[in-house]
Amino acid sequence: MNEAMENNFQDHIQKVSRATKAWLQPDNLSLKKTIDKTVEEGLFSFEDIKFQIRTLKQKVDSGQVEEWAKRANLLETKNSIGQKVLCLHAGNLPLVGFQDALGTILSGTDYYGKLSKKDPFLLSSFLKMMDEVDLDIQIQYSTELADFKDLQADKVLFAGSEESVDPVKEKLFKLNAVNDNTEFVIRTAKFSIAYLDNENPETLRDMIEAVFRYGGKGCRSVAVIVSPFTLSKVKCHFTDYVEEFWMKNPQLKKPKENLAYQFAFNKAIERDQAWLDDFLVQETDDFPDQEFVLNWVVGDHDKVKELRSRFGNSVQTVYRTGENINGIKTEFLSNAQTPDLWWEPDGIPIL
Amino acid sequence: MNPYQIFDESVSFEEKALKVFKYQSENDPVYGRFCKALGITGPVNIAEIPLLPIQAFKEKEIVTSKKNLSADSYQLFQSSGTSGMQRSKHIVVDPDLYKQSIFDGMWEFYDLHDYVIWAYTPGYNSNPNSSLVWMLNALIEREDSGHSKFLDLDKPLLQNEIDEIRASGKKLMLFGAAFGLLDLAERSNVDIAKDTIVMETGGMKTFRREMTKQALHEQLAKDFGLPLEQIHSEYGMTELLSQAYSVGTQWFDCPSWMQVSIRNPENPMQEVEQGEEGLIGVIDLANFYSCSFILTGDKGIMNAENQFQVLGRWNPKNLRGCNFLIDQD
Repeated sequence: MNEAMENNFQDHIQKVSRATKAWLQPDNLSLKKTIDKTVEEGLFSFEDIKFQIRTLKQKVDSGQVEEWAKRANLLETKNSIGQKVLCLHAGNLPLVGFQDALGTILSGTDYYGKLSKKDPFLLSSFLKMMDEVDLDIQIQYSTELADFKDLQADKVLFAGSEESVDPVKEKLFKLNAVNDNTEFVIRTAKFSIAYLDNENPETLRDMIEAVFRYGGKGCRSVAVIVSPFTLSKVKCHFTDYVEEFWMKNPQLKKPKENLAYQFAFNKAIERDQAWLDDFLVQETDDFPDQEFVLNWVVGDHDKVKELRSRFGNSVQTVYRTGENINGIKTEFLSNAQTPDLWWEPDGIPIL
Repeated sequence: MNPYQIFDESVSFEEKALKVFKYQSENDPVYGRFCKALGITGPVNIAEIPLLPIQAFKEKEIVTSKKNLSADSYQLFQSSGTSGMQRSKHIVVDPDLYKQSIFDGMWEFYDLHDYVIWAYTPGYNSNPNSSLVWMLNALIEREDSGHSKFLDLDKPLLQNEIDEIRASGKKLMLFGAAFGLLDLAERSNVDIAKDTIVMETGGMKTFRREMTKQALHEQLAKDFGLPLEQIHSEYGMTELLSQAYSVGTQWFDCPSWMQVSIRNPENPMQEVEQGEEGLIGVIDLANFYSCSFILTGDKGIMNAENQFQVLGRWNPKNLRGCNFLIDQD
């Protein structure tokens, strides 16, 4: 990269960083309006949106946009100017597509975003801001996939599953949005595991945040706790903290009737459980395949490793509250819902 | 209630089901706890009877009473599985009831007098508690021509044995798990009569191959040199003591004491609209001494004739986490 290009790219990073900071300012009326609209339409709770935006603001204000670019060596070799990246954003939690959108724009590629109909306002407000700062890249977004007809993307990014890949690809090929050379980056992680080895109030609060924020949705949310303590031992204590959390963060989405069915099933097989109205905690090491359910497993580090291996690529992260778990990569539980901008979905860096 | 009344067609299915419900909710502790937790005590119609998730057979003994039963007085069926894997257990208090369900069930679809039964069951022979092998054994034992048998594993079909069946005036019904039958056809070079029935008993997924049921049936028809309508299927499992049959199509019918419904995975008390996919729910009254009301883990759909199709396993693994869904996002 010659000096002029390097300067241009440094300028690009600075513009992206400044615009992101500006977008996150409390006096940004456009963002405020989109938050109100999102809440009004019942898409997400105000508390969850506020939490997400506060987290992003903290990261961006501490210089993480520049730091991310630096970590990814964007100034050296890795920016991919001229490439077309199509991001298919999920909408299970507020601004879940923010990292992909920011990363793609930061890298200097042309960004094409299929916004989720379940989160159509928040991300578009950010993208509008990006579009207005005169970056030397294409930024296009829509909630309709058909708007990407004939795009011929170089890369497609999305979170999915084995079953969802074929229909998505089929649709994209039909629209001529991709071709045989398009690279598909598909994330499959669905949930995280935490090892809880103490009952300190701070640890329990971190745990509750990691489990119950966004109604338990998102791959960084904890769906399985491994602990030397039985559920019956910590049940009351645990419940108090959950109630405290829900007082401040009422859960917007409610479980379906099958949760009561699961409760009855647990009763039938005499499995220990705690019914928390909008959530069920059950003592089992089964695969966590239901929404609004937390699986509690009595075990040690070896059990964590066994589950990590058994659940394979469905696991995003293993969290710890104390000492390292030898042999597997872990993160601190307190970072579960406040990841750095450069956190790696499925262990693969975005940049 | 006399358990053999389940076969009495002069009594409505609903009436029998409600009686069985009462008996099981009062005498089967697992099902009793399940109903109590759901607050269901006295349903007045079938729609109000809850279906117990089939995993319960892996977790507990599902039986109305084992009192006065010595270990050798009941039959234990177990699903196959690798070591360390949790296997379903089904305690069959009255094996004769199972036998009658097998025979009467088949009679509703086939004239059993006409058929010699051959069974090819690789993979099942290592499981001494296989309900499928027990069922096939019962069918083989009841047929008196001397031609019915379990086929030797890894050996081809023999033309002279097929000719002997033809000469006896009977027809051949060849039972086998999906891919075992494909292997058998590949290994054999025989001319089998066009009225032979190949009865595929499931087992669609192996570590070697994966294909749709339709493709499997087409392949079997081609390999055995039979019309496609001669390839039939049986839908049964360790946890059930009755079987549904598909006779040359992809749609299954039940015998009169078994009923299938397609349930909403988000609320298993509700049936989905006809033609919509959901979880297969089964009421099998032959499960008199265990639990007759079962929510399987299979995905299915129902047509206007109350026939159902099995579409594989229900995969709920994608409910959590980030997941771009083309029809929702």
